[in-house]
Amino acid sequence: MNIKAMQKKWLAIGAEVEETGYAKTGYDFNLNVAADNVHPLAELMLAEGFYLVFVTAVHALPAIEVVYQFAHTGSSRCRVIARTAVRADGTVPTISDVYQGANWHEREARDFYGVVFAGHPNLVPLILAEEDVDLKPLLKEEKNLKDVSALRHLPAGAEPEVKTATAAAKKEPAATDKKAAQPQASN
Amino acid sequence: MNVDVLEDERQHHFVLNMGPQHPSTHGVLRVLLKMEGEYVLDPQPVLGYVHRCHEKIGECKPARSFMPNTARMDYLGALIYNQGYAMLLERAAGIEVPKRAEYIRVITSELNRIQSHLLWYGAYLLDLGAFTPIMYAFDDREHILDALEDVCGSRLTYCYCRVGGVCKDIDDKFIERARAFIERLRGRFPMYENLINGNVIVQKRMKSVGNYTPELCARYGVTGPLLRATGVAYDLRKAEPYSVYSEFDFEVPTEQTGDAWAAFNVRYREIEQSLRIIEQALDKLPEGEVMADKVPKKLRLPQGDYNCSVEAPRGELSYYLVSDGSDVPYRIKVRTPSYSNLSVVPEVCKGMMIADVVTSMGALDLVIPEIDR
Repeated sequence: MNIKAMQKKWLAIGAEVEETGYAKTGYDFNLNVAADNVHPLAELMLAEGFYLVFVTAVHALPAIEVVYQFAHTGSSRCRVIARTAVRADGTVPTISDVYQGANWHEREARDFYGVVFAGHPNLVPLILAEEDVDLKPLLKEEKNLKDVSALRHLPAGAEPEVKTATAAAKKEPAATDKKAAQPQASN
Repeated sequence: MNVDVLEDERQHHFVLNMGPQHPSTHGVLRVLLKMEGEYVLDPQPVLGYVHRCHEKIGECKPARSFMPNTARMDYLGALIYNQGYAMLLERAAGIEVPKRAEYIRVITSELNRIQSHLLWYGAYLLDLGAFTPIMYAFDDREHILDALEDVCGSRLTYCYCRVGGVCKDIDDKFIERARAFIERLRGRFPMYENLINGNVIVQKRMKSVGNYTPELCARYGVTGPLLRATGVAYDLRKAEPYSVYSEFDFEVPTEQTGDAWAAFNVRYREIEQSLRIIEQALDKLPEGEVMADKVPKKLRLPQGDYNCSVEAPRGELSYYLVSDGSDVPYRIKVRTPSYSNLSVVPEVCKGMMIADVVTSMGALDLVIPEIDR
């Protein structure tokens, strides 16, 4: 697998690509994709020989974020995290028709967060009992909810102790540059 | 003979409930098998019997207090789960681990891997109807448990790793025991091979059961010995060399056929590779501290998300942690290998005889608490 070519393919399906530094974060690339592009991304990853590590969700503001992790079994290490915000109606397209292993991961994310994976063949409780269908135990209370910008890595050089407000302000210019080059990634 | 009964589909289709207390599901796994006679039309695992909300618990207390929980997920690979979690926090907080501690982690983790494989070896053959092997396997496994009990303080759900190292140094007695065990187990291999691996009945039970391919494994996220049984030499100890694994000379055993027999052989051969790693680590064991100094009491993790993947006995274990900058994780996700490995059952076991479903699921080496978490 050619990593340079791979980056171009990710950009071509409308993903924001960011190198994260394996030593610091434990994965190589971070992709921000719009919910509509999740399915093409999954098709691309499977065609390139990536396997699905997990699908999960993170409850943050402004919307629940669905996180996918892929890794490659080839000789050069490539571990990728892709993330998308759920749409306003609480749905994200399923990838269980591409990666059948996502079937259970998506059911688990629905159990814990209530994310609806549109097109999923059997979105019923898996880990939780049937009567707990509306429990959604991992949703956070409002006072504990954080904005997604407070859960991102600070740019290199920024002090880890910096409060989130200033960190978000620092991040702003870089983020807008990227958005200008790429279509808006999420709502 | 009543021909009407045979011709009416409703009369010979039935649902067979295997588990949650079935001996060959090793714990509380339940599988609903839609049957036609002896043949399985649609096997559907039913999960959640031992769900203990580990991920929710992880969000409610300081990150380092989650360490004992990791051992309760995979009780057979507890030290490897410990190690992965300690490495995750060290990566997030930027803590350097002393060399000696890394070596001790590798030695104890590999011993843990061997005892997990030995238990699987005995229990799997028990599922297939051979009663004796589990006695031999447990006899060998006992030596590991005794040695680990001396340093870790427990026999199953270890909590030995700490952020920055391990809680107790190993002593000469442990080193002696580990060396004696390596010699002992190597002496036992010919016996195992004569008794089991060369046994034609065992081979006939396992060969051609399950047809895993690299493509199928990618679609389901199957990792570990099952993936290696399809010819893909993917082992995170080599692919993403963590800790000090890059300093040891060992091989990644693979097989080509992708059936239960291939998975059986991969696991069996991995025991020898783990012995090689332990042997080299004991030879090269450096002197020094086993804990990093200056590990803060309140361990703040810089904001952002962190991932740490290690090779557990059953495949890839990934911890994924999202931090908001405090010492309590905002989100912690544990990706356990058996979860993805079990999800292939509806596809792989479709159309098998019911006895082969037991063979096929045994080859997955399932640990149910790590599936349900």
